[in-house]
Amino acid sequence: MRSIARCSLGFTGAAILAWSLGASAQALASPPAAAPEDGKIVVRDDLHHPIELAHAARRIVSLCPPLTETVCALGECARLVATDRYSDWPASIRALPKAGGLDDPQIEQIVSLHPDLVLISSAQRITDRLHDFGIESFALDTQTYGNISHVVTVVGAILGVPERAAALNRRIEDEVRAIGAQAMARRHGRPGPSVYYEVDGGPYAAGPESFIGELLTRLGARNIVERDLGPFPKLNPEYVVRQNPDVIFTSPADVPRLAERPGWDRIRAVREKRICSFPMEIHETIVHAGPRIAEGMRAMADCLARVSP
Amino acid sequence: MLELGTPDQGMLGRHRLLVWVLCCLAITLLLAFGSLIVGTSSIETSLGWLVRPDAESSVVLWQIRLPRTLGAWLAGALLGLAGGIAQGVFRNPLAEPYLLGTASGAALGVTISLIAVNASVGSFAWAAGLGVTGAACIGAAGATLLTISLSRGVLQTGSLLLSGVVVAFLLGAITQLLVLSRFEVWRSLQSFLFGSTAFLSWSSVELLGAVLCVSLVPAVLLARGLDALTLGEDTAQSLGLSLPRLRLALLGLVSLATAATVGQVGVVGFVGLIAPHIVRQTLSVNHRQLLIGAPLCGGALLQSADLASRWILRPSELPVGAVTACVGGSYLILLLWRRSRHG
Amino acid sequence: MGEPRPTGSSPVSPAAGLDAPPALACEDLYVGYGAHLVLKGISVEFRLGSWTAVVGPNGCGKSTLLRALAGLEPARSGTICLQGRALSSWPRRERARRVAWLAQASSLTDLTAAEVVGLGRFAHSGWLAHRQVEDEAAMYRAMMATGSLAWAHRRLSTLSGGERQRVHLARALAVEASVMLLDEPTTHLDPPHQEDVVRLLREQARGCGVSVISAIHDLSLALAADRIIVLGYRGLVGHGTVAEALAGDWLSAAFETAVHVIEHRGVHLWRPWLETGPSPQHPRSSP
Repeated sequence: MRSIARCSLGFTGAAILAWSLGASAQALASPPAAAPEDGKIVVRDDLHHPIELAHAARRIVSLCPPLTETVCALGECARLVATDRYSDWPASIRALPKAGGLDDPQIEQIVSLHPDLVLISSAQRITDRLHDFGIESFALDTQTYGNISHVVTVVGAILGVPERAAALNRRIEDEVRAIGAQAMARRHGRPGPSVYYEVDGGPYAAGPESFIGELLTRLGARNIVERDLGPFPKLNPEYVVRQNPDVIFTSPADVPRLAERPGWDRIRAVREKRICSFPMEIHETIVHAGPRIAEGMRAMADCLARVSP
Repeated sequence: MLELGTPDQGMLGRHRLLVWVLCCLAITLLLAFGSLIVGTSSIETSLGWLVRPDAESSVVLWQIRLPRTLGAWLAGALLGLAGGIAQGVFRNPLAEPYLLGTASGAALGVTISLIAVNASVGSFAWAAGLGVTGAACIGAAGATLLTISLSRGVLQTGSLLLSGVVVAFLLGAITQLLVLSRFEVWRSLQSFLFGSTAFLSWSSVELLGAVLCVSLVPAVLLARGLDALTLGEDTAQSLGLSLPRLRLALLGLVSLATAATVGQVGVVGFVGLIAPHIVRQTLSVNHRQLLIGAPLCGGALLQSADLASRWILRPSELPVGAVTACVGGSYLILLLWRRSRHG
Repeated sequence: MGEPRPTGSSPVSPAAGLDAPPALACEDLYVGYGAHLVLKGISVEFRLGSWTAVVGPNGCGKSTLLRALAGLEPARSGTICLQGRALSSWPRRERARRVAWLAQASSLTDLTAAEVVGLGRFAHSGWLAHRQVEDEAAMYRAMMATGSLAWAHRRLSTLSGGERQRVHLARALAVEASVMLLDEPTTHLDPPHQEDVVRLLREQARGCGVSVISAIHDLSLALAADRIIVLGYRGLVGHGTVAEALAGDWLSAAFETAVHVIEHRGVHLWRPWLETGPSPQHPRSSP
């Protein structure tokens, strides 16, 4: 049950996140794809398994929502033959067969679809099982801001569309930068609000190291969580009360309950109702840490602009 | 005749119990003081707050830290009480408060309420209205009833234990299925399953305190029945006890105490198992003394676990259930090691 | 309490009870476990002031009979009457004051001896364990009688098997019931202590007017009882005085082998026959 989804933040433990963050830093250091010669594609995945494809993958199973989104954002949705049951963007892939969840992939179904390649999150342990059936799998980290461009580049190489991947990466980076600049400009040099981003009512916060923290920094907000606490620390709630943030991000379900927490009615954000929460569709664009990240960031920026003091 | 005039223990034994209780209370007071000055502020700041109160200190000390430590004590006391009763009813030192399936029932209730909140499904609106606390209570009570009806009453402790295990697995499986279909609740469920004392408020303290009063008094009154049970079921029956009624009453108290605790602090393991053991190790006793001692001990245990959980990684926290599991597990290992050396 | 109970200080002559209904009686009693019937149509009566020994081979139903009489085992059919009233119709506590029970296997407990004996007063003092003077007096008498007063404040788990058995016996005595049902009260005891227990049972019956019913393995001790119930595998062999039992050779019939009893100065003793060859009284066809 614990490993229900190690694929993206929305439903994964902070410890696992911290671990995968370290793993992905290594992965970034190595060049993702070797230059293709005579149509062959040689890439190394985030578990350091090299794979060699005679041609660009044509039948792909994606077992992780951000990877599904990346394939589609590169315009190659048609190559997907199945996804995991949690992938739900774009709408066109919802009709595809669902090959199980993140921890219970339906090997039988995957084999019967004869894919060239199965895209998985590096926390999913099914590489060996798939290999037994002669199916290549490719594991990618999908949990930090830095991962996003890496995933786009590698998936672009696998699909044989490296130019499109580079363009997509440029577009994401441009949008993110533009939204950040807009937010800064709107503030006219005043310091940004202090922000507490609650990823879960534990209370787990998004620290500056996390990709949410990265977005907040780019939006000019001051995260009340210090860097050395790690990406998604479980905070002592008293810490939030004492930091007295100007704005709180949380889930819609928790919004009415914030004031019920002991002492929290004293927090400025709660007192002055400076609270941001997103419906599930928007929430997923943020926490999936995929190619739609700019969309999520824009939602964060809009809310910050609306509620900031 | 005079020797019997001082019941049960003799003068020395009586004083021993008194000394033991006073020690427990002293430790509790120390821990409560520690809880007041330990938090996200430095100890000097906290001490300064005690001397010169201001607006911030009154919130942090009296709205957050004090209810939190009191609530942790009460929750631990309820778990200790429930554990002491469960071990007596099942005549098994490994019995614990969750063995009637309460924890899995509570987890299922919480899952349903979380899904209802997130999905705002019309038919589940009532579950959302309950909140985590109410859902956990109802789930725990429902699981207990299911366990008892599965074993067709409380006559056979063996079949009760077995149906407790079955119910725990069954409800656990349903919870897993629900989580698979609505994975967004997983993280909140996880905090619940690890136990959390983070958000204990004065209203939690009031609720837990009321439940402790309501369950402790009858438990102590029924303690003689547990004493009689140690002589064997036949003998207990021949003494004029109605075993089904006694068991039903005591298991009712166990589920009341467990449901209230689970609702407030989630599933905190080991306290209910360890607290009665510590009492028996330090003060071998009859059940009345055990049912007074185990809550004192369980309260101090959870209080110290709470203190440790927010001290070690300040200002981050460890899940309090993880701390109790570490401490409880080590204690069990120590107990086994000592037993194997003596044996 | 419904009616005055004979206590240690006021012995009741056995004759007084003759017109009254028997202290305990069962008629046409059938008891069994699952498909297996252990007791088939047993009818016996027990009077106040007499000690009855229940003997028979292992597995013949001695314990089952005692458990049924104590109300611990439901009867398939037949009736059990306590003082002329159906056993099951007695309120639980009332019944517990009149019938004391001692189980065959004593379980381990962390209670002290005094606490265990105090539980014998449960039906009198109730949940609050607030002991009246008479409760204390009963406990004191019971512990004196069994010689367990010396370790009143020791935990049962620290006592030897024999000491523990005497504490349990004291617990049964402390009930001060008019009927005592004891399943093998002499187990775990060394011979002198077995003597003490048997003397105590006889004293309870003859001196205090209690109806004592005990299963006893040791035939010599059983033959010291006032009355004897002999159970065999096929059911009740006989129920009567020891003299009747010896005259009818019920023991040999119950054990389905020759049981030798000798008389020494008016006392009947079981004589283990260890010699090879045919026994003098009951010649066997083969050695």
